[in-house]
Amino acid sequence: MNATFRQAARTALVLVSVAAMTAALAATALASHVVVRTSVPSTGVVGDIVPLAIDIHTPDGAALSGTTVVYYLHMAFAGVEGEAEIGRAVTDDAGIATLLYEPRSAGVHDVRIEYLAPGAEKAEEVVATFEVAGGAQLYQSAGGPDIPGINPGLLMAVLGGVWLILLSVSFRLVSIARAGDAALLPEGDGPR
Amino acid sequence: MASVSVWQDRLEETALAPVRRTTARFWALVAAEVAVVAWGIYAYTVQLRDGLVVTGMRDRISWGLYIATFVFFIGISHAGTLISAILRVSQARWRTPVTRIAEFITVVALICGASFVIIDLGRPDRVLFVFIYGRWQSPIIWDVLAITTYLTGSIVYLFVPMIPDLALFRDRLAGRTSRWRTWLYRTLAIGWNGNSSQRRSLAAAIGVLMILIMPIAVSVHTVVSWIFAMTLRVPWNSALFGAFFVAGAIFSGIAILIIVMAILRRTYRLHEYVTEKQFLYLGYLLAAFAAIMIYANISELLIHGYKLEEGAEFHLRQLFLNDFAPLFWFYLIGGLFGPIVIALVPATRNTLGVVVAAVLVTIAMWIERYVIVVSGLRVPLMPYTPADYAPTWVEWSILAGGLALFALLITLFTKIFPIIAVWEVAEDHEATVSAIELTPPAVPEMPAPSGGTYS
Repeated sequence: MNATFRQAARTALVLVSVAAMTAALAATALASHVVVRTSVPSTGVVGDIVPLAIDIHTPDGAALSGTTVVYYLHMAFAGVEGEAEIGRAVTDDAGIATLLYEPRSAGVHDVRIEYLAPGAEKAEEVVATFEVAGGAQLYQSAGGPDIPGINPGLLMAVLGGVWLILLSVSFRLVSIARAGDAALLPEGDGPR
Repeated sequence: MASVSVWQDRLEETALAPVRRTTARFWALVAAEVAVVAWGIYAYTVQLRDGLVVTGMRDRISWGLYIATFVFFIGISHAGTLISAILRVSQARWRTPVTRIAEFITVVALICGASFVIIDLGRPDRVLFVFIYGRWQSPIIWDVLAITTYLTGSIVYLFVPMIPDLALFRDRLAGRTSRWRTWLYRTLAIGWNGNSSQRRSLAAAIGVLMILIMPIAVSVHTVVSWIFAMTLRVPWNSALFGAFFVAGAIFSGIAILIIVMAILRRTYRLHEYVTEKQFLYLGYLLAAFAAIMIYANISELLIHGYKLEEGAEFHLRQLFLNDFAPLFWFYLIGGLFGPIVIALVPATRNTLGVVVAAVLVTIAMWIERYVIVVSGLRVPLMPYTPADYAPTWVEWSILAGGLALFALLITLFTKIFPIIAVWEVAEDHEATVSAIELTPPAVPEMPAPSGGTYS
């Protein structure tokens, strides 16, 4: 029983190894029809534009123009994590596609760049890494139209005016107190 | 003129009576009010110790009883402004017996109202954050500025016309009252002896204040409404909110003034000065503002219902048919249509009817504030189950404490300060008597010539 089992396991292992080698050789063959080079700055700053470029050529050096390239980045939002598409670009006559990306958070970013080479049935990918520093708050609502004169200065002016008037009333109270001190003059027949 | 002098003496005695005599019933009332305030303070200590989790407020409905009561108190603070300033400007003489208490209601209501904002914060030390991190662009900062200015202006507006009456107390109670009272009246009377110079200064100060206090008061409740209207919530999305809140504030202010007037009139036997005329005129004002409120509600709700933005249908359903329907219908029928009916029907157009209308309006306006705050926050912003809010015993206790504090401060005020503007009532009376004396006797009607007719 044990000998039979060991025999079967050995056979299975050999078959799996052969299958894996075949798949690896096939993938190399599929990928070998294009040469891909990424050009990504190693560092960036939150809020600054980072050009994420990819150069796709055939092995003999001919540029592959018109290839659509999709960029993905790992993201987390409201407790959900996963890859999000951050943009697309198309290779030009020189075989170069560039996405101008504005990083929104600091840290090391692995951007996955996916493309479908001519003649290929499956999308291929490369990964480029860049590090982002800084922590600027990027999400700010628009301030609206800037109407001359409508600003905190106006608020302060109105408020200051009100308090000045209230202060003027206190001067009246001082006048009342002074008139009371000064006059013990027999003039008073006012409201009692 | 001798009769005028006798009348004035009687008026002064009436004003002095609460200070001269204190009954056991008064102390019993004070004890009851202090007990409720103490219970409210205990509930507040529980909230301080355990945090806002002891309330029914959570992340989705984060304002409740406290903010509704804050808006309610700020609203009734308009009692003083309307009666004292607007009617003073329009020279409506019937206001004189009620101005003082109206002005005091303003000050007390502002103090109580501001307290509820601090209570709602949970941690009172966070009030400092308003000054440390406040932004000029925020309606909350505008609110803080407006309320502090209004409170200062109201205290000054309460104090300035009281100076001659404080001098009266100083003179009439000299040597017959406690030392602290003697000191208090002497200090606050600031040397008033009624000479012409002082009268000029007093008239000028009152003139400035009565004009100034009106826009301040209007701005206060407008800014309170903006705290809601400038938040991205469908039920609060209204350009009408400022005017709506100001009208509601004056409406509830008149109502609370009528109630306080009725209590003080009965307690201190002010029937000669606070007559049915004052109640009826205030009742008419109440009915007029009820009509304005009906108009504002129709305008507000019809527009929401017509456009039916996302969330509006849910909001209208909860108001008219579901969770808030009993409260909202009571507000509409009892609080808005009730006062108009009472003012229109001759059988109810009297002091009792007006007081009943005022009680209805006071309850209805508190409900309206509660419904605005809670129902507005209840409309879901995302597709989740609508949250529910039920005030806890801590919130009810603090509310009871706040209302008791309001009553307590007014009760104590009546024992220390003149509750009637004696000099204004006397001036009004003198003017009335002079007008009667100067009026030529009526020409007797001529009998119709016999056999002839007037065409």
